[in-house]
Amino acid sequence: MRHARLELWSRGTSFAHRRHPAAKITAALIVLVSIATLRPVHWRVALAYFVFLTAMTASARLPILRVHLAATAVLPFALVFAVLSLAAGTPERGLAIIARAWLSALTTVLLMATTTQPDLLAGLESLHAPRFLLQVMQFLYRYLLVLVEEAGAMRDAAASRAGTVGVLEFRRAAGAAGVLFGRAWTRANAIHQAMAARGFTGQIPRFRVFRFHPADLAFLVAVAGPVVALRFIAG
Amino acid sequence: MHIPDGYLSTPVWVATDVVAAPTVFWLARRAQSKFDHHRVPLMGVMGAFVFAAQMLNFPAGNGTSSHLVGGALLGCLMGPAAASIVMTAILATQALLFQDGGLLALGANVFNMAIAGVFAGYLPFALLKGSRTGLFLAGFCSLMTAALLALSELLVSGVAMPPAMITVSLAWFAVSALIEGALTMAVATALERIQPGCLRRPQSGSRAWVVVAAAATLLASFGWLLASAKPDGLQSLALRAGLTGRVSSLLSSPLGEYQASFIANPALSRTVAGMAGLVVIYVLCTAVSRAWAATRREGA
Repeated sequence: MRHARLELWSRGTSFAHRRHPAAKITAALIVLVSIATLRPVHWRVALAYFVFLTAMTASARLPILRVHLAATAVLPFALVFAVLSLAAGTPERGLAIIARAWLSALTTVLLMATTTQPDLLAGLESLHAPRFLLQVMQFLYRYLLVLVEEAGAMRDAAASRAGTVGVLEFRRAAGAAGVLFGRAWTRANAIHQAMAARGFTGQIPRFRVFRFHPADLAFLVAVAGPVVALRFIAG
Repeated sequence: MHIPDGYLSTPVWVATDVVAAPTVFWLARRAQSKFDHHRVPLMGVMGAFVFAAQMLNFPAGNGTSSHLVGGALLGCLMGPAAASIVMTAILATQALLFQDGGLLALGANVFNMAIAGVFAGYLPFALLKGSRTGLFLAGFCSLMTAALLALSELLVSGVAMPPAMITVSLAWFAVSALIEGALTMAVATALERIQPGCLRRPQSGSRAWVVVAAAATLLASFGWLLASAKPDGLQSLALRAGLTGRVSSLLSSPLGEYQASFIANPALSRTVAGMAGLVVIYVLCTAVSRAWAATRREGA
């Protein structure tokens, strides 16, 4: 699964990996805003962004080709609009959508490939995102794989009993979703009881405390500076 | 329905972010104040459940299959405020981990699916007191509202779509909404059998604002679609009413037309306007958060 690969990459120890997550989130937002406001796309600048993001990937000691491939997840949707733009006689608009979508996805992949999920949530918290929402995200992420595996097992079991998934009756599939819900509900209560037994009072303790060092500021300037300069050149 | 980055124009993603971020802050505070801390694991696991339930294929006829989107179901199970937070958590996770939807477009996706979609779904559920018809309409309205808003935002952003494509899209949305309605009803009925009383029927005191919010959402989504299909309509109406001058003077600001008018260079001007938009969102969220905290302290 893609998120398992991102999690593996995020455990690196490069300069980018060690930076304060808030610095990385802010840098990613600046890059995304710069890309989003490229209208029309200045192709040399788009290429420069691509080279810059590739250099960032290399400096973070990440597999360049695989990171770029991970960003192509957005391309099928973008291609539909590119074809529509081509049919409407504005191919440059379609190409611009592809370029912007791919560069934006590459930025998000880079952010996630250099920041572990708990660190990302800590960074969002330091940027004053609602703690309640972040806690829900934390639990969601923790039990995502467990329930997805359970749903997959139920789907396979149903397929082996009924031939193929497609011939499952509607109600039977709804029943399967109901059973999955029942299991998830029971699991949620068991989790809470276990956490309450360990002293959970609504706040999840942090094992790593981040401090904003001069190196984090240098990282932010090193990313934002060239990106904003390129955006300025694009006109 | 997850809009990636690069599709929406700056006015659209800034406007939806400005609406969505403070709303999520307010809903998070509201959900937090209403629930015990034991609801946090429950909400997280419910989010994971919706993710997992999207893996279960439902036969939709002609050899095709569909899957649950889940906004309406969550609203019926947890109430609209909590459901909006769980949907926001799902959308953020999808954008960050699966590149399903963009980060700048997260505001648009949250507004469409987690706010408007959930509340529009909760309206028929609340009005029809949790009946099977109410459950069906909850799924239908939720998906239809989210899809109409997404389509409108793309059209307003200037994404090329021939009229035939818009018609096909609307027909496809209607079919998907019917399937979502049937799925919501079937899954909720199965849940009630397994776990009686799990559906969160509205309390009398909370009903009025839910109805108003959901009705406003429905009206807004259809209004957006009309405005986006005929963008000159609003302008001609303003002209006929003699409002053009007043409207333009009202809208003229240092960041009007999503450009920083005090900066000569157009590129830098747009970038500064975009950054300013993000700062405005941040300040709005902090203000909402502090105002809420102050209200709570006074009430305590």
